[in-house]
Amino acid sequence: MDPILVTNNLIDGVLMGMLYSLVALGLALIFGVMDIINFPHGDYVMIAAYISWLIAMAFWVDPSVTALLTVPLFFLFGVAIYKSVIHPILGAEPLIQIAVTVGLGYVLENIALAIWHAEPKSFPAPWFNFGLNFGGLSISVAKLIAATVSVISLYLTHWLLTKTKFGLAMRATSANRLIAPLMGIDVEKVYSVTFGLGIALTALGASLYMMWAQTNPYLGSSFSLLAWVIVAMGGLGGVVGVIYSGLIVGVLEALGNTFISPSARLAVIYLAFFLVLWFRPRGLFAKR
Amino acid sequence: MRSNFKKALSKAASITIVVIIIIAIAAGAGWWWATTQQEAIPTTTSFSSTTTAATKPKISVIKIGLIEPLTGAHAVFGIEAKEAAELAINVINNELGGIKSLGGAKLQLVVQDAGSTPDNARLAAEKLITQSHPNIVIGAYISRLTAAVAEVTNRSHTILFMDGLVDDLTQHGWKYVFRVAPKASAHGKSAVDFILDMAKKKGLKVKTAVVLNEDSVFGTYTGNGAVLELIKNGVKVLDHITYPYDITDVSSIIARIKADNPDVIISVPYFHDAILIAKAIKSEGLHPMFIAAAGGCGYTDPDSIKAAGDAVLYYTQTYSFNPYRHTEWAKKLVGMFKQKYGKIPTEAGGIILYTMFTIYEGLEKAGQMYPSDPLNPDNLRKVFLSLDLTDSNSIAAQLYPTGHIKFLPNGDNEYAGTAILQVQKINGTLTPVLVWPEPQPGIQPIFPRPDWKPSSSS
Repeated sequence: MDPILVTNNLIDGVLMGMLYSLVALGLALIFGVMDIINFPHGDYVMIAAYISWLIAMAFWVDPSVTALLTVPLFFLFGVAIYKSVIHPILGAEPLIQIAVTVGLGYVLENIALAIWHAEPKSFPAPWFNFGLNFGGLSISVAKLIAATVSVISLYLTHWLLTKTKFGLAMRATSANRLIAPLMGIDVEKVYSVTFGLGIALTALGASLYMMWAQTNPYLGSSFSLLAWVIVAMGGLGGVVGVIYSGLIVGVLEALGNTFISPSARLAVIYLAFFLVLWFRPRGLFAKR
Repeated sequence: MRSNFKKALSKAASITIVVIIIIAIAAGAGWWWATTQQEAIPTTTSFSSTTTAATKPKISVIKIGLIEPLTGAHAVFGIEAKEAAELAINVINNELGGIKSLGGAKLQLVVQDAGSTPDNARLAAEKLITQSHPNIVIGAYISRLTAAVAEVTNRSHTILFMDGLVDDLTQHGWKYVFRVAPKASAHGKSAVDFILDMAKKKGLKVKTAVVLNEDSVFGTYTGNGAVLELIKNGVKVLDHITYPYDITDVSSIIARIKADNPDVIISVPYFHDAILIAKAIKSEGLHPMFIAAAGGCGYTDPDSIKAAGDAVLYYTQTYSFNPYRHTEWAKKLVGMFKQKYGKIPTEAGGIILYTMFTIYEGLEKAGQMYPSDPLNPDNLRKVFLSLDLTDSNSIAAQLYPTGHIKFLPNGDNEYAGTAILQVQKINGTLTPVLVWPEPQPGIQPIFPRPDWKPSSSS
């Protein structure tokens, strides 16, 4: 086994893992605080990637820069989706929640298909699509930037949750949504901000991903699957759980692609997921 | 008591068996009646008078069914196919005066949406056959959809011209199928033949290769075609990598290829992965002698160039259609297509253009060979098997990359072949140009890649 190839894969897996964690964190927040199953999480990434591409093409800037616009835009989009689609089904039967959120995913996918058709879209002149080479090792600068921004964002979200009054309100609502209002917490506000924040994080992830990749109407399902595995594997253990399970998924994906087969990529990830659940049925970082 | 019970039981069993037999006979008779009715319809409905062996039928309209994916993920192909079919039929009816040997009979296009699943395609084919009774059907670009359509058309003895490329579509034993376009493995073979031809001309030796293909049936057949041709020519295949086309990141695959350090890379992508691969190869700093693609998807089409930019410079791709052929009819129809739709026809549209003109030429011959029953599917099959179309005697051949169409008994074209386009910078703009088998005027293939860094083994 070539040590340089293994090291390259580990580096790549860690960098991708941080980006996956960023996307999955939005899902973990929404699920943890609101107890809603947000199936189309990856579809928000897909739509945000299209918006990022549109802005990048219009102003001829790298997609990473477009996050300055897409993040606040998608925060508002998330709040609007919450008010119009999610709010009416809060507390409804799980079957209704699944039907509505899965349906929302199809709506987003078909909107993309209708507007942009099936052709992939990508920014043709990215600023950071080059590698740093050290004696056989190669690190993608675009991914390095994406991972760094992801780590900073994950830390800021952790800080928001643990060090601010609003974070306390989010955690209190997550712990008991019936008692939280009795403590003076505006649960409705917590919900709308949480959903907006969760969707804003997908927009940030999408802008970073578009630095070297592409978007198409079917991109969402890949990200949805990965996000769900990361959240379930982490066991709703907060930001730390999401980071560790994101890293596991990223590294397994890279090593699986190289040493088993890219076609078996999802099988490798899911086998690891089943293995984790076998030993820790509530996930790696479950609080109880 | 026990004996009475046994008697009652045996009586009940007997009645049950009789009822089952009656139901089976009734169902069998019903099925026979339905299938004979269905089979009888296509050969008679498009005739304006009754067909008999003694009298020449008066035919005013010949229905051509087109089943393509007009919605869903593959709609981009189906829509272009429909555009090409409409253009070809317009030329045949108005410029060529219809089918002259059949009294100027006009072609009428009947379109059905194959959707994105085999079930949808099957239903579309059944609807088309039972409601419109086409004489000939074309479809359905995506191979799994084509297979579903072929089951229906073959059962109803309707000639199907397939524009799906997976090899085994002509290996099912279906009697009424034809395919003008080169099959998937021929694409893989062409990509390798091009590289070896170029290397020979430049005095270079290709010793090693890596083949990577998306893992659909089409990608697998195309990739295998490349692997077989490489081995046949003594090139060592260091790695054969398959991956799902909806993969989100390919860096680890490119790192694996970098570690293999091959002379050449043969890639069989879909659209999305092609962009990821080209960008990752650029980012990882891979500098092989050449990167050639096969399968008519990705890298060199206008949308991929728009999306990937400089990352696809010097990539080549095999195509079932050559929009730059220097024949009278290729120039004319490509020009008409461009004028009507604002773009040159690519893979999906090009296949339909030469397929439609093959049908036109077959129908002309059918009128001469079988004047009393030209549209009988068995007669049509014999006519198509007897065609030998070349640039000098055929519009279809003038549109075809090799300029020669002659069907084998399984329905494949004996002279199938592809054209190869390369992305080059022409006046500062990334442009796909024809480089093989004959480059377009003023163009030379760029081989090896200018950024090639020969390894010690090269």
